[in-house]
Amino acid sequence: MSKIEEVKVLVETGKSKKVAAAVQEALDAGDKAQDILDAMIASMGVVGDKFSSGEIFVPEMLIAAKAMSKGVEVLKPVMAGDVSNSLGTCIIGTVAGDLHDIGKNLVTMMIESAGFDMIDLGVDVPAERFVEAVKENDNVVLVACSGLLTTTMPALKEAVQTVKAALPDMKVLVGGAPVTQAYADEIGADGYATDAGSAAVKAKELTA
Amino acid sequence: MIIIGEKINGAIPSTAKAIAAKDAEYIKNLAIAQAEAGADFIDVCASVDDDIELETMKWLIDIVQEVTDVPIAVDSPNVYTCIESMKYCNKPGLFNSVSLEGDKVDVAFKAIADTKWECVALLNSDKGIPKTAKDRLDVFADLMVKVKEYNIDPSRMHIDPLIEMLCTSEDGITMVTEVIRGIKAQYPTIHVTGAVSNISFNLPARRIANQAFAVLAMSAGMDSFILDPLNKDMMGMLFATEAMMGEDEYCMEYIGAFREGIFVK
Repeated sequence: MSKIEEVKVLVETGKSKKVAAAVQEALDAGDKAQDILDAMIASMGVVGDKFSSGEIFVPEMLIAAKAMSKGVEVLKPVMAGDVSNSLGTCIIGTVAGDLHDIGKNLVTMMIESAGFDMIDLGVDVPAERFVEAVKENDNVVLVACSGLLTTTMPALKEAVQTVKAALPDMKVLVGGAPVTQAYADEIGADGYATDAGSAAVKAKELTA
Repeated sequence: MIIIGEKINGAIPSTAKAIAAKDAEYIKNLAIAQAEAGADFIDVCASVDDDIELETMKWLIDIVQEVTDVPIAVDSPNVYTCIESMKYCNKPGLFNSVSLEGDKVDVAFKAIADTKWECVALLNSDKGIPKTAKDRLDVFADLMVKVKEYNIDPSRMHIDPLIEMLCTSEDGITMVTEVIRGIKAQYPTIHVTGAVSNISFNLPARRIANQAFAVLAMSAGMDSFILDPLNKDMMGMLFATEAMMGEDEYCMEYIGAFREGIFVK
């Protein structure tokens, strides 16, 4: 097995203690940092798909993402200054009145693992804050809004419409337990995802 | 969490029948099924007349070792039978059991002291089964003097606090959980074990009572279980409880056991 294949297996199986060493070995063996990163992103794609299909469970996705971030830490100094490897910046947050962050954090991890830079605004984020964050950060290509309560669905609508009013070209992705594709369409979001794995797929799709 | 599969025991009528009929196939299947169900030890107890006990033990142990590498728990009320049976085992297993009755503990500890064998010790003594938690913990203290004397690491010991039937108890399982907590407080690495189904003697729907006991005993510190690992409900309950107690990082044991079919029918 090549070093890069080994890294992929370690990420997919969430072996975070071994990934860093394997990434370093791959670099030492002459593999390019970008290729290693792409391989890890591909592994997380597999992990996301397996999660979406019910084959693996949340903790397994969590440890895979942790493993990947251990690998990325090794690559960062090597790739520093090279912005071309980012798919862009994604602003994410749970909307006003809603304090749920576990699902949102999983989505953050998976979108990050797909190759985006993440700015996490946390929970209970007012609609205007999403707009400010887009303006404060460079290269923002996507805003992701999460709402977990039926009572905060109106806040999701407000967040999407505030972003769209201020920044008509900005792509907006929504998700959360009570959200449906129909509701996403109704409030003018560009995309909707049912879970963290498909959110990452959708994020790439919307910004391609 | 340590699972000691209890099915190869002549005290169980169907197993007794297979032993009497020298039905090796039946024993083989019990061994394979328990190994696949996640048993860490396969208990072997002949429960036959003294004059044929040892030869029966050898016959059973040979059959089990033919089909699985899971270590054996040599099980007899007679420590000499256990000691002789150790010789039939390909690798160190579990000595089941000793107590402070007579010279049992000295004989047994002498035999296992310089080995990797683990050992079940019951908290009764020459005076019988102590009635109160304090008395049982006193027996435990006496036992640990011997454990130390023979230089046996506490992590090799499985202390059986003696699980008695719930239906005649006046305080539920309060006394026994107090004993379990007392043991674990003094020796965090020691194992506490027990025959789970003892709790439900003379009750209907025993499996429900067994599960409730396992959860509460585990929360008190029991971490070794003598039971039927083919009971998927019970196995699921144990893995779930372990995760709830924060002893299963990211629930990976639970998920792994689920995937191996340990608790899914």
